[in-house]
Amino acid sequence: MAEIRWFWPLVVLALAFRLLLVPFADSLKLGSRPEVATPLTSLRRLAEGYWLKQSSLSPYAGSMYHGSPLLLTMLGPITMKRIQGQPTHLFCSFIFVFVDFLTAMLIRAIGQKLVLKNCKSLKLLDLSKLIESFVCLDAGGVASLIYLWNPFTIVSCVGSCTSPVENFMVVIAIYGACSRIAPLAAFGWVMATHFSLYPVILLIPVILLLGYGPDAPPSKLFLHKNPSATRSSIRIFSWKPVVYFTIWAAIWSCYILLLISIFLKGFDGLSEMLKKTHGFILKVEDLSPNIGVLWYFFAEVFDFFRAFFLILFHVNILFMVLPLAIRLMHRPCFLAFVYITISSMLKSYPSVGDAALYLGLLGLFVNELAEMKFSFFLFCGYIGVSLLSPVMHNLWIWRGTGNANFYFATGLGYACLQTVLVVESVSKMLNYDRILRKQLHTA
Amino acid sequence: MASLDEEKPPAARKSRLIFRLFSFLVSHSNVVSVACLIAGCIVLLLLPVLAKNTYISENALMPGAAKSMFSNQDVLEANKLVRDIYDQRSVEPKSGTYIARLIRKRMEKVGAEVYHHKFKYDNIQFHPLSFFSSTTHSAILQNSSGCVSSGVNSIGIIRAPRGDGKEAIILVTPYNSEDIKLNDALSLGLAYAVFSLISRAVWLAKDIVWLAADSRHGEYAAVASWLKDYHNPVFSSDPWGSGIGSCFETNNLHKKNDSLFDEVAHNVFRRAGTMSAALVLKVMEKNERRERDRLDLLAEASNGQMPNLDLINIVHFLAAHRQGLDVNVGSFNFILKSALIKNLGKVLQALSKLAQSLNPTWKFGVNSGDFVEGTSTLASSMYYQALGVPTGSHGAFRDFQIDAITMELSPRTSFNNENGISSFLLRGGRLIEGVVRSVNNLLEKFHQSFFLYFLTAPDKFISVGVYMIAFALLAAPLPIVAAALFSSTSKATVSRNSDKKVSSSESWKWLYSAKVVFIVHLWGLMISLLPYPISRVPQTTSTNNMLAWIVLSLFSLLVLHLLMGSSRSHSEHCNWELLKSVSITAASVGLCLMSIINFSTAQIGAMLLVPLCLVVRPLNKQPQISLFPKAVYGIFSLLLVMATFPPVTLMILKGFFHGFSSVSMGDFWEFAEFLWVWNSATYLYLMLVHLPCWVLCVHILLHP
Repeated sequence: MAEIRWFWPLVVLALAFRLLLVPFADSLKLGSRPEVATPLTSLRRLAEGYWLKQSSLSPYAGSMYHGSPLLLTMLGPITMKRIQGQPTHLFCSFIFVFVDFLTAMLIRAIGQKLVLKNCKSLKLLDLSKLIESFVCLDAGGVASLIYLWNPFTIVSCVGSCTSPVENFMVVIAIYGACSRIAPLAAFGWVMATHFSLYPVILLIPVILLLGYGPDAPPSKLFLHKNPSATRSSIRIFSWKPVVYFTIWAAIWSCYILLLISIFLKGFDGLSEMLKKTHGFILKVEDLSPNIGVLWYFFAEVFDFFRAFFLILFHVNILFMVLPLAIRLMHRPCFLAFVYITISSMLKSYPSVGDAALYLGLLGLFVNELAEMKFSFFLFCGYIGVSLLSPVMHNLWIWRGTGNANFYFATGLGYACLQTVLVVESVSKMLNYDRILRKQLHTA
Repeated sequence: MASLDEEKPPAARKSRLIFRLFSFLVSHSNVVSVACLIAGCIVLLLLPVLAKNTYISENALMPGAAKSMFSNQDVLEANKLVRDIYDQRSVEPKSGTYIARLIRKRMEKVGAEVYHHKFKYDNIQFHPLSFFSSTTHSAILQNSSGCVSSGVNSIGIIRAPRGDGKEAIILVTPYNSEDIKLNDALSLGLAYAVFSLISRAVWLAKDIVWLAADSRHGEYAAVASWLKDYHNPVFSSDPWGSGIGSCFETNNLHKKNDSLFDEVAHNVFRRAGTMSAALVLKVMEKNERRERDRLDLLAEASNGQMPNLDLINIVHFLAAHRQGLDVNVGSFNFILKSALIKNLGKVLQALSKLAQSLNPTWKFGVNSGDFVEGTSTLASSMYYQALGVPTGSHGAFRDFQIDAITMELSPRTSFNNENGISSFLLRGGRLIEGVVRSVNNLLEKFHQSFFLYFLTAPDKFISVGVYMIAFALLAAPLPIVAAALFSSTSKATVSRNSDKKVSSSESWKWLYSAKVVFIVHLWGLMISLLPYPISRVPQTTSTNNMLAWIVLSLFSLLVLHLLMGSSRSHSEHCNWELLKSVSITAASVGLCLMSIINFSTAQIGAMLLVPLCLVVRPLNKQPQISLFPKAVYGIFSLLLVMATFPPVTLMILKGFFHGFSSVSMGDFWEFAEFLWVWNSATYLYLMLVHLPCWVLCVHILLHP
């Protein structure tokens, strides 16, 4: 396993670059860009919610704030602290820089676990030749550097939105599951679900990770290698961590709900919170433009079809959960990556923060996906779309010479790019398994 | 290619049609790119032929439906104001505030709400972050500043009897308050006559605002500062108050009471709702004598934005068909005289006749004279759009999404001929009244007609769907050639490594080239910001600034090269085909972005950049041909590279038009300064797309 040269200097440089950008956060106006801050993650809305709370109103009054009450208690007081002549959310930005660092470190740890497991299973299969050629990169280091240096991550970190925290929770869940720490995995999963609802589908990969352990080649191959071994001796689903996980998940969710109900005492309480956060996500109430595709559609659709299409769009994600889980059961980490990508493509309020997460996780599979076609095309596509989107927005909103279709077209292009990315990476991963099998048969 | 196809398994050959089509294009990239280039140039030349007649798209406008009420009585009013201004000028020749006072009195007489707007003229400087966010920078008025560096606009508002005060039509008349000429006075008089007529109109549904802009420091600054204050609420108690008083005080010492009264009443900034259209009115004196009065329309705003075509349509309709004016849009004289274009027009005329004789149902009807005129008009409108600098004070309105044009009226006789001037004023007044009445009918803001178009004549336009074809054909070779180069390198490496184990990083090899391209673009960003510190150094000539800019940018390029690309191992990874492929892709992304921001810049940029990108290849790796074509090819690519370096291009163009003796080092600095003063995106294009691509091309050319 080749270490990356200058890993730590690059990490420090990335953090320094963020700190350099923080003082210019206000003049860059990232916090009001629709690509960066959504109604769910905007820190301006959070500050507004905190203000309402301080004036003993419900923070959800007036459809301004739609995030978690826990974020309000954690970040709310910090949003009030201002220094004259400095950006409004200076301290929050510092926190986000730190959170980004933690996320990157966890991704690195996940990558190291994956690479270790990979080496072990390749040794078991007696494919040391492949180890030389394939496992040549420190996947964790690459992934964490991709995460830290991705412009999307930097923008969402500096642009005063809470998506770094949401990403952190998702990564905690995956890390906890990878290292079989049930309480941690449960905490990450529950918090991530509470923040943005969509990580609820990560339940399957997390359970698979806890049960089977990190990614490995399909168990068929092991059986082929030593037919004498029983099936159970190679890949056992251990129930113990899963049971622990279930218990811990129940404990954490009860605890969080208790905290929230204490926090919202005197207002409408839990039902109001669920309606204003998860209900807001599911019902797609805010139709202000973003880089997703749902706002345009629901702005056009007739009211009496609305419920039908809402169900259709959300079930769209759920439809893909089961087939993918069956096909990629032996690679739960990769399954988690695919789920995150799909949900960030089809979610109601996507932002570049979601793209930052799945692009970072993509780096974990750098050895398996080395033969990816279209990598250059995808790279150019991402650059083109991320530059085109502000221009089209400017044309529509500020110049008035374009219209909503212009901006939506870039959103559509972005969705296509993500589709190509998912399809290509899944097919390459399956291809990798096929290559392994071929090697095994020829050897 | 054929051998590679044979190697493929039969399943792969039966791929989908679109993939086969794409691989066909890629495998014949040379032919395809040359064909596309030629087709693009032909379409560009044919654009004047493809122009369509304009038509009024919005039904509500109904231009010319009502009978004009502007009469000789109003012309007398106009003449009276002109005479008053001239009388007053002989009394107070030095100060310019008497005109503001005079206009205020007239406005009050017709029952308008009047106020003065004092603005400070600040020298615009280079702000690195001010591109695309024009309204953020708001200068704070300082009361201590005198009237020397500031101007006083006079504004009158007629409230519409049938309106709700939420919409307005703006009339703008710029005048030079320090040294008023007869044409400025005439335009003030004309505007006043129309204003007083409209104040009596019963049909008025939108408020009418008359802005007499003090253009001592340029028309644009006066109008832009008023617009900024109109749209940005100011919360301080009375930022204008004391300032304006001090401007009038010096002149009004003998009527102190009067001025005190003025101060209170006329410093409150009043508004009249959203603006649906603005007309900038100017009277010009042209020395040539013609049969008809002349109207010049100027429409180009910042970054190639145009007002809605309907506004130009109604002005043209009323001017040409109702008032019988000779309507013109800007055109280049040198093209009108160019023999090449004339001959091309003749050839096209002959061709169209031939086509008509073959099949009478084909109606091409190309007239060579029309073609030449259309080409020169198109060239001028493309030039002004590409520059990204507004052609007049109407440009300030476009930044707030208001459609505006400048109407330059010039009489057929000299200003001394009173009869001629009277009939000229009558026509002009009727024209403006008609336009105002037409816009007054609007129910929504202008949206029906085009925003993206070129004019080839006042009544002919090319819409975005047509002119995009020329650009698409020009830019199409870039991605095709990039794909061809990319696939050729990947195939080469696959065939080389076929005996070895698959080495994992092959498909990510482009990352090394991408790194080089990224660094060069980063360098482009750095040197585009360099003028900011350089322009802060006081008292330097533009030549010195230019030299400093060149030296600093060369130095930074050297530093970046030493920091990033010094190790030899990289140059092994980085073969020139991949590098060219990545840099061409970057250029095509940049060109496509620019074609959305400012089409004309992208079109002109593509005409320079695309041939360069296609031609360039390492000098010592020419294809296996004999010596002479090789030498010719090398010299040709060198010349192309020389000519497309932005300062050299500018130098050549300047030398071509003004003679090579006038060319100097600082020209490019002045040009760049001109661009960033107006926040033109062309500057960004030059520095972030064109220059990095040029540097990369030079790098490829000198590749070992």
